[in-house]
Amino acid sequence: MKPESKRQNAPLRPGAALLAWILPGLGHIAIGQRRRGWLMMIGILFLFFSGILIGGIDVVDMKQDRLWFIAQACNGPIAFIADFLNQSLLKTADATTQARLTSLGNINSTGTLYIALGGLLNIVLILDALGGPDRSKEHPARRGSDS
Amino acid sequence: MTLLAWIPFVTPMNGLQSIWYVLLIPLAFGIAMSYKAMRVASLQNYWRQVGVMTTQVTIGIAALGVLLMLFVRLLLPLL
Repeated sequence: MKPESKRQNAPLRPGAALLAWILPGLGHIAIGQRRRGWLMMIGILFLFFSGILIGGIDVVDMKQDRLWFIAQACNGPIAFIADFLNQSLLKTADATTQARLTSLGNINSTGTLYIALGGLLNIVLILDALGGPDRSKEHPARRGSDS
Repeated sequence: MTLLAWIPFVTPMNGLQSIWYVLLIPLAFGIAMSYKAMRVASLQNYWRQVGVMTTQVTIGIAALGVLLMLFVRLLLPLL
């Protein structure tokens, strides 16, 4: 049997996909691919927190950067928490504090991009958790170009 | 004084404005780390694969940047 047809017959795992959205990598951990899951989690969270570290809390903004937020929301609830903190702490602050905590130019773009790319990458990981191959017992022959 | 006023994850790092392009390297590293965790058949060579992909993405985007600069500064003025 070819690997492709094996993959077509693999059962879908909606629970793992949901877990992967709730916390990146958690879906893979739940289906027994623990080391991969931890590495994915560290990678996505690294992008997320690096984005906030670079651009401040201002880079996640559902109201002002709606299109970017669609991609950022794929990081899971952490994106919504960051937006809530932005709206409740930064946007309600006085003008001086807002000016001090708002990122500018390339720094704002870079921070926004970090989190948006992490979200888009998490879509791939969610789809892999949903219908990807079972790697809980390593498949050495899979995708030889990467080995 | 400026550094003392900086609160991580709250205050933006606006001081990096002039060297923002260096931030491409950790971005490529984060992407490679997550992507390769899913993509590689065996995790034995994982970190080497992450290093290769980080280098490829960084060089690729830098090359695109150089090509775009040449297009804008040299080719477009000729039109």
